[in-house]
Amino acid sequence: MKTRPVGVIGAGSFGAAIANLLAENGPVLLYERNKEIAAQMARDRKVRGFDLHANIQIAESMEQVASLCYLIFPAVPSQYFKSMIIDFSPYLRADHIMIHTTKGLHCDFDMDTADAKTLRLKDIKTMSELILQETGIVRVGSIAGPNLALELMEKQPAATVVASRFDEVIREGVAALKSDRLQVYGTRDILGIELTGVLKNYVALAAGAMSGLGYGENAKALLVTRGMAEMIYIGHALGADKRSFLGMAGIGDLIATCSSPKSRNFTVGYRIAKGEKLSDILASLGEVAEGVRTVKIAKLIVDHEGISAPLLQTIYKVLYEDLTVERSVKMLMRYPVSDDAEYLDL
Amino acid sequence: MNRREYKSSDYPLPYVIENVNDWPIARLSNDKESFVEEVKARVREKITARFNTSKALREELAKVLYQERIRLTGKPWKADPPDEAKFWSSIKSKLIKMEQLDSTSTITETELLEEIIDRYANEIVGDFNPRAFGFARAILPQFFGRVLAAAPGKWFKTFAGNVRTIHEKIPITGDVEKIRHLSTKGTVVVVPTHFSNMDSIMVGWLLNEMGLPAFTYGAGLNLFSIGLLSFFMSRLGAYKLDRRKKNAIYLETLKLYSTVALQRGAHSIFFPGGTRSRSGQLESKLKLGLLGTAIEAQKLHFKRFSEETAPKLFVVPCVINYHFVLEAQGLINDYLAETGKEKFFRENDEYSTSFKLVRFIYKFLSASSSLSVSFGDVMDVLGNKVDEEGESHNHLGQKIHVKNYFMTNGELKDDEQRDAEYTKILGERIVENYHRYNVVLTSHLVCFTVFELLKKKYAGYDLFTLLRTPANEILLPYAEVTEKVNELKERLKVLNEQKEVQISPELRWNVDKIIDHGMRNINLYHTASPLTKEGDFIGTEDLKLLYYYHNRLEGYGLEKLI
Repeated sequence: MKTRPVGVIGAGSFGAAIANLLAENGPVLLYERNKEIAAQMARDRKVRGFDLHANIQIAESMEQVASLCYLIFPAVPSQYFKSMIIDFSPYLRADHIMIHTTKGLHCDFDMDTADAKTLRLKDIKTMSELILQETGIVRVGSIAGPNLALELMEKQPAATVVASRFDEVIREGVAALKSDRLQVYGTRDILGIELTGVLKNYVALAAGAMSGLGYGENAKALLVTRGMAEMIYIGHALGADKRSFLGMAGIGDLIATCSSPKSRNFTVGYRIAKGEKLSDILASLGEVAEGVRTVKIAKLIVDHEGISAPLLQTIYKVLYEDLTVERSVKMLMRYPVSDDAEYLDL
Repeated sequence: MNRREYKSSDYPLPYVIENVNDWPIARLSNDKESFVEEVKARVREKITARFNTSKALREELAKVLYQERIRLTGKPWKADPPDEAKFWSSIKSKLIKMEQLDSTSTITETELLEEIIDRYANEIVGDFNPRAFGFARAILPQFFGRVLAAAPGKWFKTFAGNVRTIHEKIPITGDVEKIRHLSTKGTVVVVPTHFSNMDSIMVGWLLNEMGLPAFTYGAGLNLFSIGLLSFFMSRLGAYKLDRRKKNAIYLETLKLYSTVALQRGAHSIFFPGGTRSRSGQLESKLKLGLLGTAIEAQKLHFKRFSEETAPKLFVVPCVINYHFVLEAQGLINDYLAETGKEKFFRENDEYSTSFKLVRFIYKFLSASSSLSVSFGDVMDVLGNKVDEEGESHNHLGQKIHVKNYFMTNGELKDDEQRDAEYTKILGERIVENYHRYNVVLTSHLVCFTVFELLKKKYAGYDLFTLLRTPANEILLPYAEVTEKVNELKERLKVLNEQKEVQISPELRWNVDKIIDHGMRNINLYHTASPLTKEGDFIGTEDLKLLYYYHNRLEGYGLEKLI
C-alpha cells in the first residue's frame, strides 16, 4: 500500500517546523490558508527563510488534505483554531487521527466581561475538546514540549510529548515524528499536556519581567520552580495528572520558554518591567501574545475554583491593575512559604 | 417511513416477526451446540494468546483454582451444581500431577483449560423454548390479571378486562416504532437502569408487549434459586451470571458468550450498572465489560462482511421508574454500610419465598401508575444517534460510517485499548440518556423535597447523624413542603422543556394533589412509611427510605432551590 501523506494545517513558524520534521519520515501535505503565501511556498520551496523539505507538497485545499491524509497535525494559533476546525469539519471522518500542536484555551464567552462565580468550566475548552466538539473525529491527540520553532528549523536536537487517551494515536504520532534529532515521548494525560502548555505562558511572562528588572538566575530559578508548583495546583484542580507538569511538556517547556528572550511572552514581561504600558506593547507586537490571554483565562479559572495562585494573581494585577513590577516582587517575596516540593504530595 | 405513536390501548403490539421459531433467539437455541462450541473455541484462543507459555497458563489455572476453592468455602447457593467441590478437586489433582517433576501426566495445560471453559460455558448458557414461551405468554397476563382482580374492591371483576388494565398501567415513552423497525434490520441491545430484581422481568415483558422478539440477558445466578423464576428464566433466554466468579477465564467466557450471541443476532439486555443501584441514584458509573461486547461484535461484523452488508448493532438506553422499589430497605442499608468503601456486595435474597414475590406484584399492580418506562435515543455502538433507517449521525448531524472508527491508515485494526475507550464513550452517552429520559414521578419529587428540607433544617448534622435521628422527632410544616414542592415542580418543567429530564403527567397537577399522589404511591408497599402526614405536618417513619427515594433526583441541581 502506498504511504499516505501526513497533513499539516498552517504554515506559521511552528507549522513549518513540524512539516519539515514529519517530512523526514515520509510525504507531507502542507495547507496554508493564505493563497499568496501558499503559491509562493510552492514556487520558491522556502518557508520562513528555511528550505522546504523535498517531501512536502503544498495542499490545494483542506478538502484535499482530508481526502488524502489519515493523520493530520493542525498548527494554528488558538484564536483562529475554532474557525479553522469548523471550516475543516465537513471533510473529516472518524478514521482520521488529529494531533494538534496549539497551546491555548478557547472560551465560549467574552473573557473581558465574564464573572468567575457564574461561569461554567465546561465553556472553557482545550483545543482537543474543540476538535471533539466541532468534528466527527474521536481519535485526538496533542503534542507539546520544549519546541522553539526556530531551533527545530535549525535541526537542533529536541524532544516532544504526544498525548492522547488512545495508545494508537500516540503510536501513530511517535512513528510520524521521531527522528535522530527528535525524541518523542508518550502519555495518556492529554488534559495535563494541554494545560501545562497553556499555563507555562504566564510564567514565561513573569520570567521576562524578572529579566527586565535586571535580576539574575537565582530569581528566575525561584520563579520557574514556584511557577511550576502553581501550574500543578491549577492542573490538579482541573483533573490533570501532576506528572505531566514534571515532564518534557511541563518543566521541559518551562525551562525553554523562560530562557528564551525571543519568545513573545518573555518580551511582553520584559517591556512591562521596563515601564512600558501593556496596550503599547501589544500594539507594537502586532499579534496577541498567548500569555496575555492565558493570564485572563487562568485567573477566571482559579477564582472560580478557589485555587490559591499568588504568582498568577500578581501578574494579573501588574497587567491590568497598575501594580508596579517592583512592588509585585516585594509582595511575592513576603508570601508565606512552608515545605519544599509539597506539590508532590497532591 | 411514517412515524407512528402508540396509545396504551394498542398494546400488546403485533410481533415484528410472526413465527416464534424465526426469532434470532430461537435460532440461537436451536444451534446451541455449535454456538457453545464457538464460544469455547474463542475463549481458548483468547486465553492462550494472553498466557502464551505453558508456565504462564499453568500459573493462571492455579490462580483460578485458588479463587474457586475460596468461593467453595462459603455457603453454597441453591443454584450451584452439586458436584462443584468434586470438579475443582479433580482439577486440583490434575494440576498437582502436572507440576511434579517426574510427572507421568499426559494431560496438558490447554486440556485443563478446556475442561474449565467447558464447565463455565455450559453453566452460563441459556435456552429459549418456544413452547415455554407460548405458555408464559398465555399465562402471565392471566396471572397478573388475577392478582390485580384480587385487589380490594375489584375482586368481582374477574374477566378479560383485567388484562387490558395491565397494559394500561405501563406508560411506555420513546420511539417504539423505530425500535421495532430497527430490530428487523439489526441487533438491538437494550441497556436499562437497574433498581430492582423486577427489572429484567419487567423489561422482558415490556419488550414483548412492544412486539419484539424475545431478548437474551444475563441474570444473577442467585435468582435461579427460586423455583418458579428459575423455570421460566432458564427457558426464556436468560443466561446465568455468577458475580462471585471473578477469574479471567470465567469473565472471558461470559464476554465471549455475549459477543457471539450478539454476532448471531440475538437481541440482548445489559444492565450496565452491573448490580442494582444501592443508593437509589441513577447510575453514573457503568460497568463496561458487557457493554464492550457490543462494540466487539460490531467490529467483528465489519471484519466478516462488506460495509454495506455488515449487520448493525443498536443500543437503546431505557429508564425504569418505580414509585417504590421492593428491595429499597436492603439496598440503602448496604449503601450506607459501604459508603466510602469499595467492597463486593452481598447479593440479597429478597424473593426468598414465592409469597414475597406475589405480594410485591400484587402491591405493584394495585398502585395507580406505579411504573413508567422510557426509552432513550437509539444509538450505534459509539453512542451516535441513528435515524429511522439505522444510519448513524454524529453529534453535528453529519451522516457517518461506523466502520471508520475501527479503521487505521485505511485498514480495519484490532486494538483493545482503543475499544475500551470507545466503551467509555458509549457509557457516557448512556448515562446522559439516563438523566435526560428519567421520568420524575410524584413520589420522587415529594421525597426529594422533604429530605432536602430536613438537610437544611438540621444543617449542623452530617448525613449519618441525620439518618440516625429518631424518625418520630421529625416534622415539617405542610405549608413549607407545599411551597418547595411547587418551586421544584416549576423548575422541573423548565428542565423538561430544555429536554434535560422527563416528567410524569401528574407533575402538572396542583401541589396538594401531587403530594397526595406521591405519598399514596410510595406508602403502598413499605410497612414503615417514608412519608406521613399528621395534621399540618409532614413526617416520616423511615428516614433511610426517604433518603433512598430522594436520591433519585440527585444530579439536576435542584437542591440549590431549597
